Amino acid sequence: MHHPRQAFRFLRGVAALALPAAAVVGLAAGCGKGAVPPDAGTGPRKIIYWEKWTGFEGEAAEQVVKTFNAQEQQKARTTPAYRPIQVQLVSVAEIEQKLMVAIAGGNPPDVAGIETKMLYPYIDKGALLDLTEMIAGAGISKADYIPVFWNMCEHHGRQWALPTTPSTTALHWNKRLFSEAGLNPDVPPATLEELDAWAEKLTRWEVVGGDGTKEIRTGFCTNIPDADKRLVQVGFLPAEPGWWPFLWCYHFGGRLFDENGNVTAAAPENVQAFEWLASYSKKLGVAHLQRFISGFGNFSSPQNPFLSGKVAMEIQGVWMYNFIDKYAPGLQWGVAPFPYPKSRPELARTTLADVDMVVIPKGARHPQEAFAFMRYLNSQEGMEMLCLGHRKFSPLMKVSSGFVSAHPHPYVALFRDLAFSPTVVAMPKSGTWNEYQREMENAAGGVQDLNVTPAAALAGVQARLSGAVERNRRTSQATPTP
Amino acid sequence: MKRRDLVGLLFCAPWLLGFLVFMLLPMGAALYYSFCDYSIVQAPAFIGLANYRELLADALFWRSLYNTLYFAAGAVLLGLLTSLVLALLLNCRVRGLAFYRTVFFLPSLMPVVAGSILWMWMYAGDGGIINTALKAVGLPGPAWLADPRFAKPALILMSMWGAGHAMVILLAGLQDIPTALYEAAVIDGAGWWQRLRHVTVPLVTPVILFNLVMGLIVSLQVFTQAFIMTGASGAPERATLFYVLRLYQVAFRDLRMGYGCAMAWILFLVILGLTALLIRFSGKWVQYER
Amino acid sequence: MSDKNPLHRTSPWLHLPLVLLGLLFLFPLVWLVVSSLQPREQVGLIPPQWLPRRHYLTLDGRTFPVTPPEPILSEQRLVKPLDGPDRGRRRLVAAGRYRDGQLTQTVFTDGRREERVFPAELIQAVPAGSRYVREWAPSKYRTDTPREFYVSPDRLSVRIQPVWGNYPEAVRALTAGEDAKKLPLRELLGRTRWPWTPKDAPEHTVTFLTYLANSLVVAVLGMIGTLLSSSLVAYGLARIQWRGRGLLFTLILATMMVPFPVLMVPLYGLFRSLGWIGTLMPLWVPAWCGSAFNIFLLRQFFLTIPAELTDAARIDGCSEFGIYWRIMLPLVKPALAVVALFHFLYAWNDFLAPLIFLTEPETFTMALGLQQYQSQHGGSEWHLLMAASVLLVLPVVALFFLAQKTFVQGIATTGGNG
Repeated sequence: MHHPRQAFRFLRGVAALALPAAAVVGLAAGCGKGAVPPDAGTGPRKIIYWEKWTGFEGEAAEQVVKTFNAQEQQKARTTPAYRPIQVQLVSVAEIEQKLMVAIAGGNPPDVAGIETKMLYPYIDKGALLDLTEMIAGAGISKADYIPVFWNMCEHHGRQWALPTTPSTTALHWNKRLFSEAGLNPDVPPATLEELDAWAEKLTRWEVVGGDGTKEIRTGFCTNIPDADKRLVQVGFLPAEPGWWPFLWCYHFGGRLFDENGNVTAAAPENVQAFEWLASYSKKLGVAHLQRFISGFGNFSSPQNPFLSGKVAMEIQGVWMYNFIDKYAPGLQWGVAPFPYPKSRPELARTTLADVDMVVIPKGARHPQEAFAFMRYLNSQEGMEMLCLGHRKFSPLMKVSSGFVSAHPHPYVALFRDLAFSPTVVAMPKSGTWNEYQREMENAAGGVQDLNVTPAAALAGVQARLSGAVERNRRTSQATPTP
Repeated sequence: MKRRDLVGLLFCAPWLLGFLVFMLLPMGAALYYSFCDYSIVQAPAFIGLANYRELLADALFWRSLYNTLYFAAGAVLLGLLTSLVLALLLNCRVRGLAFYRTVFFLPSLMPVVAGSILWMWMYAGDGGIINTALKAVGLPGPAWLADPRFAKPALILMSMWGAGHAMVILLAGLQDIPTALYEAAVIDGAGWWQRLRHVTVPLVTPVILFNLVMGLIVSLQVFTQAFIMTGASGAPERATLFYVLRLYQVAFRDLRMGYGCAMAWILFLVILGLTALLIRFSGKWVQYER
Repeated sequence: MSDKNPLHRTSPWLHLPLVLLGLLFLFPLVWLVVSSLQPREQVGLIPPQWLPRRHYLTLDGRTFPVTPPEPILSEQRLVKPLDGPDRGRRRLVAAGRYRDGQLTQTVFTDGRREERVFPAELIQAVPAGSRYVREWAPSKYRTDTPREFYVSPDRLSVRIQPVWGNYPEAVRALTAGEDAKKLPLRELLGRTRWPWTPKDAPEHTVTFLTYLANSLVVAVLGMIGTLLSSSLVAYGLARIQWRGRGLLFTLILATMMVPFPVLMVPLYGLFRSLGWIGTLMPLWVPAWCGSAFNIFLLRQFFLTIPAELTDAARIDGCSEFGIYWRIMLPLVKPALAVVALFHFLYAWNDFLAPLIFLTEPETFTMALGLQQYQSQHGGSEWHLLMAASVLLVLPVVALFFLAQKTFVQGIATTGGNG
């Protein structure tokens, strides 16, 4: 450009573009709703509740929220100058990620529903409000809850969360496959040795004969060459579902941390547990197992290996009923406490207990109102409404008769009973737990693929996690309980 | 400053503004965090080079880097080949051209969730579609996503369907070649292969370079497919533990965003280096103005 | 051109690879559409069943859809215990466990297993070879219990019939509020909360159309923005010889090399201080500042245009902006169509950015809406997810068709006379 006139024309051109653009931006900004306005001082007190639940689980939560809101409205009508608390439930995917970003950005919800595995890291990093005083002030005490779930919400002697929907794990078996294998369909294996023996009877291969005919043989069929056989049904598979490889250590009497918070991954009982994992791969053959596992459909579908009869016995939790009900309603199934090693009868009712929790993030705008809602959620009425809707049992000690008789889950009493077991397993309260779990998963995978011996795999986990725990100690006050 | 510099700067003003507001601050913050112990929900605490030192000694870091480079090499080459073949096929005048063009682009339109479910279903070991097809041809079908040796090739094959994007860009470039050049070649007696080698491909090399660079940058940051299909664990046996997946694990699951930012800046340097190499050596085979 | 022109001859050999590749690439969409018309139990079956099969039960003169039948292999009894842990609930037990009004059950107390006997009434004797079916509905969002039946196989029939009902159910499932979900579909959609609905209008609720509208707003506004800004910047980089353009280009490329997860957290803080969290603005406003990918793309296309054109225009006294607006843009129309399409596609399917930056349910986009079909402990509704995905894909396919014409027209207009 050599003349000011040209420059002017250029700028005019740019302006011609920019003005309508600015208009659009302004319009959209006007249409868009801005950040949450500060509390007006009159009218209802609005709080935001983030939950990860969708589908019928989300609807159960919605019902609780609606009942609470209605009760608050009623209180406002009868008491003058009372500002009712109104809860807005937002269904959030990937809640941990979103919650973290929101807390860091100074814009958290007032109440959030999280999973246990994120609770302790959050507490260690100071992301949550200490609820001890509020809980004591509301008259809620340890005696109101099944002990394991109350303990899970406690860390460093303070209370940080209130439980919502609990779960425990147990042995599930397919009754039809039991009768086809000649076993009594109503009697589950009591010991691990029995489990292994019955798993052999429930394992079936499709064997190709010399003339090309196919037939079904039961047992591990180790004498038949690999090329002639194909796995079609398995009695038991530790790798299915494979969500808690660390749990097997507890079933054998081992543990992951000692009293002082040191890592004990390489303990002899843990090695024994992983030897047991490897034994299934040895009996069935790694290649066959991999091919069989890769043919499993999506867990949440009728092609779930347990639902479609590919796996006869499985360790699963109280939620399995929902999947059976949705995808395989005709399945005849049984539930019993998971078997124990014959030499250790004291491990009889080992189970993994877990619970979803509600917390108040740091920086929440209305902590008092948030707690008032959490208190309703933990009342007999609110909790049973929620847990009935989720088809799970309630973490409260008191159970109303209406809850039991209306409950659709046929084995809910057993799952609740297991939560009282002396050998119940709760997730270790360590900031390094996520890393520990990943390392155990990887170790179990390597052991089951027979690529590494159990001792070596667990020694590797021990080394890595000791370093991680050391690092974590340096940066926070975490002390895991075994 | 010369008038021309000012004009150039003015044209680039929208990007500069966006960069200053939306990029510089977050990138600078990420750089600062890489020297800190930052758990997202707590304020960052400066620890110097500790993150970088830990990173270089971490076996998982190197594993994820290897996995990512393996994947990128496979995906970029396969993608280039597929998109080039498709674009060249579509550049000829065949009946039903519009239909084919849409068909080849369709898989790129699917939402990621539906696409991943489809692929997991197709890769099922016994009775899955891919293995059934392989069996029909007499080849043994591996356990794809359950076998550590075949998991990465499985994901690389998946990226083939995403070739629609690169194909569309190549097509736009192919359409830009003036017919006059083709006519001149025909007059000179060139057959279709010679036309391809001497007219078509050389003139579309800037676009090919673009696709290569973009493909490299994007595939080195592969994340979503692996996240949905393996649940952020990198199963089986860490075969699909890609770099950004590992970053996500460390930053959001272990609450160590500082370490994650250190990983991000190393990735940045790796991508920058590889891209610079690619562009430096592009002068040999790319032709710009005619 | 004459018909003898070899360029216009189409080789018949081309059809074979085109058809084969075409089938291969058509497969995903075909699978998506086929799955969207299947009942819940059939989606994702291995080995696949392509034709949608519906099972029907004929009872008391009525025929209604049921779940796929499950065989009962041995003789059983359907009983209702009058006492014990299962009091009042229907239970299917082996024939040997129920005799003369007494049911033998295994009861677990305090970890001990014992056999106890309870009185029970017989509802139905179920002979071996019967089938168990349940009433079928496309969505199970209620907690009510559908009716169950134990019938003989001759009452059951199978029909090949697509489940068109998946589509309205998929739309209904994305509605907020249980009461709203129960309304007829037309009324439900009529109460949609649009982006311009005032905040306190309680009868308006978030529906499928809300998600769709949000996705559309983000995609269209972003598309316009990136078209304008990216082309401006690309022109500045490609056609104006100024100091620092190489450096700027490298900088632009470099911004693509930082993975999004590390930028998320500071960006969120930035948007919050701007007051944009809670609106759709974080998703489309950054596009108005140009996107590195599109800038690079357009720069490559601008570079292929001969310099003589622009030099001639400059000599004629045209301003740079005029050259840009009147000469360059029309010449790269195919590339502009590509940019528009790609950004629309990207914004339409983007999941991570809406997940992090959107906080109000009224602003959620379709990508977030699709998450509603998946439930961690409740089971996912794949047939509805597939139906919703088909509904999501159709607008983009339509857009692609429209944009196709501009891809083609480039041949005639590349000023080949220069």
